[in-house]
Amino acid sequence: MEYVVMAAKAVVVFALVSGSMPFIVWAERKVMADAQARIGPNRVGPFGILQSFADALKLIFKEDVVPTGIDKRIFYLAPILSIIPALITFAVVPYGGPDLKLFGYPVGYVADLKDVGILYVFAVTTLGVYGIVLAGWASNNKYSLMGALRSSAQMISYEILLGLSIMGVVIGSGSLSLVEIVQAQATPYFGVIPGIWLFAQPLGFLIFLIASLAEANRVPFDLPEAESELVAGFHTEYSSFKFAMFFMAEYINLLTLSGVITTLFLGGWLGPGVDRFPILGVLYFSVKTVALVYFFIWLRATLPRLRYDQLMRFAWKVMLPAALINIFITAYWVAR
Amino acid sequence: MSAHQLAFLVLGVLILVSALMVVTVRNLVHAALFLILCFAGVAGLYVLLQAEFLAVAQVLIYIGAITVLILFGIMLTRKITGGAQPPLASHWKAAGAGAGAFLLLLLYVAMTGQWQVSDQPPMDSTTTLGLALVTRYVLPFELASVVLLAALVGAVLLARDETR
Amino acid sequence: MATETKQTSEPDGVLRLGGPGLAAEPTGDIHEIETDHLEVSMGPQHPSTHGVLRLKVKLDGEWVTEVQPEIGYLHRGVEKIAENRTYFQFLTITDRLDYVAAMACNAAYAVAVEKLAGLTVPPRAELCRVIVQELDRIASHLVSVGTYGLDLGATSPFIYAFRDRETILDLLEMVCGARLTYSYIRVGGVARDLPEGEWRTRFRQFLDEFPPMLDEQDTLLSENEIFLLRTRGVGVLPPEVAVNYGTSGPVLRGSGVAYDVRRSKPYGLYPQLDFNVVTRPTGDCLARYQVRVEEMRQSVKILRQCDQLLDEIPPGEVLAKGARGVKPAAGEAYASVESPRGEMGVYLISDGSNKPYRLKWRSPSFVNLSVLSAIGRGWKVADLVAIIGSIDPVFGDVDR
Repeated sequence: MEYVVMAAKAVVVFALVSGSMPFIVWAERKVMADAQARIGPNRVGPFGILQSFADALKLIFKEDVVPTGIDKRIFYLAPILSIIPALITFAVVPYGGPDLKLFGYPVGYVADLKDVGILYVFAVTTLGVYGIVLAGWASNNKYSLMGALRSSAQMISYEILLGLSIMGVVIGSGSLSLVEIVQAQATPYFGVIPGIWLFAQPLGFLIFLIASLAEANRVPFDLPEAESELVAGFHTEYSSFKFAMFFMAEYINLLTLSGVITTLFLGGWLGPGVDRFPILGVLYFSVKTVALVYFFIWLRATLPRLRYDQLMRFAWKVMLPAALINIFITAYWVAR
Repeated sequence: MSAHQLAFLVLGVLILVSALMVVTVRNLVHAALFLILCFAGVAGLYVLLQAEFLAVAQVLIYIGAITVLILFGIMLTRKITGGAQPPLASHWKAAGAGAGAFLLLLLYVAMTGQWQVSDQPPMDSTTTLGLALVTRYVLPFELASVVLLAALVGAVLLARDETR
Repeated sequence: MATETKQTSEPDGVLRLGGPGLAAEPTGDIHEIETDHLEVSMGPQHPSTHGVLRLKVKLDGEWVTEVQPEIGYLHRGVEKIAENRTYFQFLTITDRLDYVAAMACNAAYAVAVEKLAGLTVPPRAELCRVIVQELDRIASHLVSVGTYGLDLGATSPFIYAFRDRETILDLLEMVCGARLTYSYIRVGGVARDLPEGEWRTRFRQFLDEFPPMLDEQDTLLSENEIFLLRTRGVGVLPPEVAVNYGTSGPVLRGSGVAYDVRRSKPYGLYPQLDFNVVTRPTGDCLARYQVRVEEMRQSVKILRQCDQLLDEIPPGEVLAKGARGVKPAAGEAYASVESPRGEMGVYLISDGSNKPYRLKWRSPSFVNLSVLSAIGRGWKVADLVAIIGSIDPVFGDVDR
C-alpha cells in the first residue's frame, strides 16, 4: 500500500510539474514583455495564456528534420536524457509538511530520503549534462559541439559550487533530508525574524542562486545556447518535438531549482498558520517558488550574457573561495 | 524468488551485459554510454544493500563527473562523427591474462571468505560513514586528498599555456 | 614548430587530428603536440552577423586565430544600374544601399550630383535635409546600439531602442510617406517641405522626450558590469590601423581620430550649426558604443537648433530649378556626407548625357568591415560577436 501511495504522489507531482511548464513559459513571455514595453502573447485564450499550448501543438506538427551524418540513436536519446533529470528531482522536494496527510498518509512530499536527500538532488542534476553533451556531439555540427563542450565545463564547475554553497545549510540543519532542513528553519531568530536560512546564510544563498542560474543555463549564464555566438548551441540541429523536449527540460529545470532554493533557503512550506492548517504549506511553497521564477525571468530581461572565460573565472576565482569561506564560518559558528 | 532477489538478478544482468558492451562496441561514445548504464546498475546494487549514500555517491561521482570527463576526452580527440575503433587493442593477450588472473582471485576470495551477515537494519549510513572517515580512516582519507591535490596541480601545470 | 599553415580542415566539418599549428606556437615538450584548429563558417545565416555576412573563422578552442569576411551575398550591381538611369531616376536605388539610414544615401548621391552639375540647393531645402538626416542618424544609431545589446545577450535595450526609433520613423513617414526607403532628399533639394502643424508639435515633443529615454536605455548597458566586461578593452583598434584601413564614422572616432565629414569637409547647413565631434581615445568596443550614444545626443542638439531655424528660414522653394532633367557637363566629381556609419561618398563621371557614365559608391560599412580581419584575430568567439556588432556593418551598403 505504501508503494501505491508513493506512486500516486509521484504521478500527481509529475503531472503538476510538467503541467505548470506551459504557464511558466507564458509567464516569462508576459513578464519579459512588460519589462520591455511590449504586450506579449495576447491572442490565444484570455491574456494569451494558451499560447504555449498552441506553440507545443505547432512544434509537434512540424517536420522533424534529422541531419545527415549523425549518430541517430544518441541524437534521439539526448532530449529524453535531458528531460528525465529535470522531472525526477522533484521527488524529494517537500511541498508540504509531514503533517499534511490525506487518508492518513503523508502527502507533503513524494519521498523523504533521510540519509541522502539533498545529495539525491545533486546526483540527479549532474545527469542533466548528458542530454546536452550528447545532443551536441550527435548533431554533427560544430556549433552544437562547441555548445556542448562549453555547457559541460560550465555545469561541472557550477555543480561544485551548488554543493559547497549548501554545506552551511547542511551543517546548520544537521541533516541531509530536505524535510528536516525545512523543519530546522521553523524556529525564528530572536523570536521575531523568520528562521529561514536566507538570513543566516546570505552568502551561501547568493552563491547557490548564481550557481542555479548557471546550472539551468539561464541569463547571464546561457552560454551553451548563446544564439549570437553559437547559433542555438547544442540544440541547433533539433527541430519539432525533440526541440520542444529541450525547451521543456529548461523550464522544468528552472522550476525545480526554484523549488530547491525555496526548500533550502526560504523555509519551504513554512509560513504563518501552517501548524493548524497544513494545507497552507502547499500554498506557501508555491508562492515562494513562483516568486523565485519571477526573479529569474526579471534577470533575463535585464542582464547581458557573460563571456565563457569570464564565467569560468568567476566560478573558480570568486565563487569557489567565497563558498569555502562560508563553510569555514558556518563550521566555526556551529562548533563554538 | 523474492522481489529483492529479482531486483538483484535484473541489476546483475544489466551490469554484466553493459560491461560486456563497453569492451566490445566499436564506437567509443557508445562504449561510454554503456559505462554509464553499468555504473547505474552498481548504484542500484548499493540501493538494494541499503547503502543509499554510496548509491548517490556512485551516481554523483562516477556517472555525473567521471564519465562526463571520459566523454569530454573522446569528443576532443576523435572525429565528430565517431569512426569505428578496432575491437582489440594490440596488447590484448596480456590484458586478458591479467583480467583472468584477477577474476580467479576474486572467485577464490568470494568462495572462501568469511562473510559477516547481520540481521540488524543498517544505521544511518551517512553519519556512520562520515564519522569513520574522520576518525578511524582519517589517514587513508587524508592520503587520498593529497593524491588528488597532486593530480590537480599536475593537471593545471600541464594545461598551462605560457603564451597567454 | 609548425610554421606553415597547410589546409587540413576538411570542408565537411570533420574535426581531424594533425591540423596546422599556430604560427607563433612556443617550443617546449608539451607544446609539441599539435592541436586541431576548428574552422567554422559564421553566417550568412547566423543570428549575429548583422545581415548576410559570412565569416570564415579559424578557432583554436575558443580563440579566434583567423577571421576572413566573405561578402557579396547582397550584391545587386547598384553601380552598374546607375549607368542606365537618369540622374534623377537613380535616387530611389540609393535607398536600398544603407537601408537603415537611407537619408544619408539620398544625401550623398544628391550632394555629388549637385557638385557635378553645379546646382544650388535652396536654403529651406538645406534645412529640411539636415533635419531628416539627423533624425535618421538617431534612428540608425538606435538600431546599432539596440542590436548590439542583443548580440551580447541583453534583450531589453533592443526593444527600448526600437520603441524610440518608431517615433522617428513616424515623423519621417509624415514627411515623405515612407519609413525606410525615403527618396526624400532629391537631386537639387528635397521632395517637399516639412509639414507644418501636427508634425512640428510631435517633432518638438520628440526632442523633449528622447534624451531621458536614451539615458534610461544607456544605463541598462553602460552601467551594467557584465556589458562592461564584454566590451571594455575588447577589439581594440589602434588609431594608425583605423586610418590606414580608411575607416570612418564611429569606428574611426572610437579610436580617437576626430574625423567627421560634417566638420572636415562641410556640406549643407552644417558649418552654421553647433555640435561636437564625439571621440573616445580607447578604440575598444565600448568606445565605439559610447561614440554612437553620444552622437545621438549631439544630433538632438543639432535638431534643437534646426527647430529654431525652421522659424527663421521662411518656407519657399525646396527644389532647385532644372534639377529634374539635370544634364551635367562632361567631367567628374566626388562628394561625401557623414552617414551614421562614416564617410559615405559618391564619385561620378559624366560624359555630358543625362545618365552617369560611371558611379562609384564609397560605402563606409564596406571599408569599416575590412578592418575586422585585423582586429578580430586573437579574441574569443564571443568577442568576435561583440566586435562585429561594434563595427555595425549594414549589408545593403557593404555589398551594394
